[in-house]
Amino acid sequence: MDQLLPPEIVEAGQTFPAALAACGDLDALLRLKGAFVGREASHATRLMELLKTAPKEQKRELGAAINGLKQQWEEGLKARQAELEAAKRKLGALAATWDPALPPPQPPRGALHPLNRLMDRLVEVFRPMGFHVEEGPEVETEAHNFDGLNIPEDHPAKASSDTFYLAAHPELLLRTHTSPVQVRTLLRVAPDLAARGGIRFLAPGRVYRKDEIDPTHSPMFHQVEGMLVGHGIGMQHLKGTLEYALRALFGPDTEIRLRPSYFPFVEPGCEVDVSCPLCGARGCRVCKGSGWVEILGAGLIHPNVLAYAGIDPKEWSGWAFGMGVERMAMMLSQTPDLRLFFENDQRFLKAMGGLD
Amino acid sequence: MWIERKVLAQEIPASAELDTRQLCEVLAALGFPVDGVATLEGTEALDVDITANRGDAMSHRGIARELAAKLQQPLAPIATGLVSEGAALVPVRLEAEACPIYATAVLALGEGVTPEVAQSFLRALEASPKRLPAVDASNELLLRYGHPTHAFDADAIRGAVAVRWAKAGETLVTLDGVTRTLMERDLLIADEAGPIALAGVMGGDRTKVTEATRRVLLESAWFEPKVVRATARRHSLHTDASHRFGRGADPAMARVARDLLVARLQAWCQAKLIGAWTAGAVPVPAAPVELEMALLARVAGEIVTLEAAQEALTRLGCAVTAAGDRLRVVSPTWRHDLAIAEDLAEEVLRLRGYEHLPSVLPPMEGPPEHLAPAYLLRQRVARRLAQLGFHQTVTYGFISPEADALFASADNPAAGRTLANPLGYEYSVLRASLLPSLKTTAEQNLRQGSRLVQLFELAPAYRSTPAGPLEQVALAAVWGGVLGGEDYLSPARAVLEADLAGLARDLELPGLPTIHRLADGLFGFEIELEALPRPQDRIIPVFRPFSRFPSVERDLSLLVDLGQSYAALHQAMSAALPAGSLLELRCVDVFRHKSLPEGQQAWLLRMRFQADRTLVGDEVDGWVAAALVAAESLGARLRA
Repeated sequence: MDQLLPPEIVEAGQTFPAALAACGDLDALLRLKGAFVGREASHATRLMELLKTAPKEQKRELGAAINGLKQQWEEGLKARQAELEAAKRKLGALAATWDPALPPPQPPRGALHPLNRLMDRLVEVFRPMGFHVEEGPEVETEAHNFDGLNIPEDHPAKASSDTFYLAAHPELLLRTHTSPVQVRTLLRVAPDLAARGGIRFLAPGRVYRKDEIDPTHSPMFHQVEGMLVGHGIGMQHLKGTLEYALRALFGPDTEIRLRPSYFPFVEPGCEVDVSCPLCGARGCRVCKGSGWVEILGAGLIHPNVLAYAGIDPKEWSGWAFGMGVERMAMMLSQTPDLRLFFENDQRFLKAMGGLD
Repeated sequence: MWIERKVLAQEIPASAELDTRQLCEVLAALGFPVDGVATLEGTEALDVDITANRGDAMSHRGIARELAAKLQQPLAPIATGLVSEGAALVPVRLEAEACPIYATAVLALGEGVTPEVAQSFLRALEASPKRLPAVDASNELLLRYGHPTHAFDADAIRGAVAVRWAKAGETLVTLDGVTRTLMERDLLIADEAGPIALAGVMGGDRTKVTEATRRVLLESAWFEPKVVRATARRHSLHTDASHRFGRGADPAMARVARDLLVARLQAWCQAKLIGAWTAGAVPVPAAPVELEMALLARVAGEIVTLEAAQEALTRLGCAVTAAGDRLRVVSPTWRHDLAIAEDLAEEVLRLRGYEHLPSVLPPMEGPPEHLAPAYLLRQRVARRLAQLGFHQTVTYGFISPEADALFASADNPAAGRTLANPLGYEYSVLRASLLPSLKTTAEQNLRQGSRLVQLFELAPAYRSTPAGPLEQVALAAVWGGVLGGEDYLSPARAVLEADLAGLARDLELPGLPTIHRLADGLFGFEIELEALPRPQDRIIPVFRPFSRFPSVERDLSLLVDLGQSYAALHQAMSAALPAGSLLELRCVDVFRHKSLPEGQQAWLLRMRFQADRTLVGDEVDGWVAAALVAAESLGARLRA
């Protein structure tokens, strides 16, 4: 009987069950229905035309075949339609008797990296005091990374055991701190510093030191640098700013403590502790029972740093601080291993990062 | 450095009255935080953190001196004048300015070993006693008083001793048995047969003290810190001596330490002093530094009286004279870090305690500055991506050459981006693209069972230029795994290239970036951040009138060739319609199936029309017909 039918229709008929099963919704089914039994240009209409022009002696047999085929198609379509409608009804029923305990479709939710989040938070905290963000390149010159910061020619940090250098450009290195941004910014603003009324900024960014990767060391990490230059700036202003910022960060009851220390680019220099934000200074594992946690290094900008940038240290003065972001993140989150921050496991990022 | 409390109390008896916690707090307030407390050899010791500028504090005496100034308590006296000097038994010539003073003595050693108390002190401070009194006494003196000394076997020395610069190519076998080829900038001690010590760093093997040594020649000198640091670095030879000399020892201690060493050897092993003498003298102190009271008040945030400042500096050992509104200050011989007025201001505040500093917010002197557009753009993009389900990553800026080569263009050779001293081969090239790092990270997440991985990073990528690597902030996003299927309403399907294209549209990228198939079912793209549209200057856009009349929607199902360009079809159909009539034309379904004619697919195109009036069916029919004609001109035909 099949030899009476055009081969493409025979083939279409053979693929019909699969096509039927592939229809995932009523729209798709409707399209399939159109192609097979539609009123225009469908397989069925073609078959009817075939029947009209067929020799009389074949009409009977062909008619039976066509009817069989059409019936098979229509029944298939009808059954599939019933299935799809049932599914739709089921969905409707689900919607009608909604169980709020069923896991709902969840809009996607990613996360910012916790280190970026912490840096953003610091910017937010300093913003109301008029600080903006300055940035600089990670590939730096020795001049910006060391010389402009009053770091002596023979300082051990310059050694290739501590600092990464570029093979093809021996004068270039990967910055070892965000402090070169100080140098770049001061050099840029020096000519119109008076018109600006000094400058105050944060410089968050990535820095590199030649440390092996272990639970507390990473060859790449993040710092946030802060700097303020103005008239008559002293240690009281450093203390006042940090007190405001660290209270905004850790809570209004936070106390801060300045201790003398030494960094070549500041004088006087200090380290700053905060009352332990985890135990409220009662003493815990994080503050080793002392109630204090070291949070950053700071001081008044060394006159040589201002002079290097062409700023008269007799007229201008200022303060600067530098803070390790990973250290702070690990302390606040009690993350046991620094490497987790660079592994980027989505489970860690989701749990630690959040959206803002 | 470890400071043993018992020995500290010998230097400053008042320290014994403080409990450990109090002592730690006083030290921290002075700038010497205590990193740990341990009981060593039955006595308590503190691990005191001493900054590199304070060579003078790197001993029990040095810490005691600081405590004495702070607590205003006396230091135990050091016995001086124990040794009377005579004529030089061996000529000592100081041929370099870097060594202004060299005190020495020759002793005949007798019977006896290092006393147990000294051995125990050395052990407690992790300096293993050698049981040779001359060596142990020198080490004990260093830890106690901070002044490095050295003992030579006097009978191994040939002729006169000179402190001189090395000649290029000279060699010296140091105490550690290593043959060192010296350079002209190395300062050394030499006899007439050649070098016998690297000045301030390490003695030589030929003249070392052994069990067989009968007579010793002592060295207690002072060497220029810079010179010692350079030699120690050049030869990678960091010793207790180079650590102290390199950070500035006290030249006035040269004779004192020699005397103390002589006295110890006399007491420990009945050594007989044959002669003692000194070449050179303590250098003249540097010119006084002036401290203006106005500067002090500025740094301190309040008026500090001249008298208070003078008193504080005097307590620290400075010679201070008042001159009007300023102090003229000569630092003590042990302090090499007081070079400018700010250094002195710090000392006054340090002794008073930083806890007394007032706390004031700095006044604004000018208007605050804006955040840079590039910074804001990064913030905005990062937040958008996080909202869309992407996780921000932070990966290392250096990767392996193989990983780098995956996405580096031919005109961006790795040679210009390679580190001279990487941590290892796999971290040796500053990456041309963020994609290799994201690919690795994504695959790791998938391997660890993530059903869906969505990552992005905002970080510099590097391009080699003749002037060095040029960095440009790039945005890379990768996406792979299975979408949906996690609840009863969302069907599951694999992530496809099209998803990345949709993401690119969401970020309003000007065109479609190259979408890379990073692995099976893992896709990604990378763009320069510059390519993203900047936030508009206007707070809100200019108002554009919009039609309030309802739009009319028509669907066309077209059969087209599998190779048909959608863009061309879209363009042709849009062009066939009167300007302004078409609100939107989009393909809402693609149907590819065996039931369709071979080589063809069906596209369901949805057209939305709108005008400033109610549209009538005939008009829209006409437009649809026109669009169909345009489509047919490209070979499409209406599907029944």
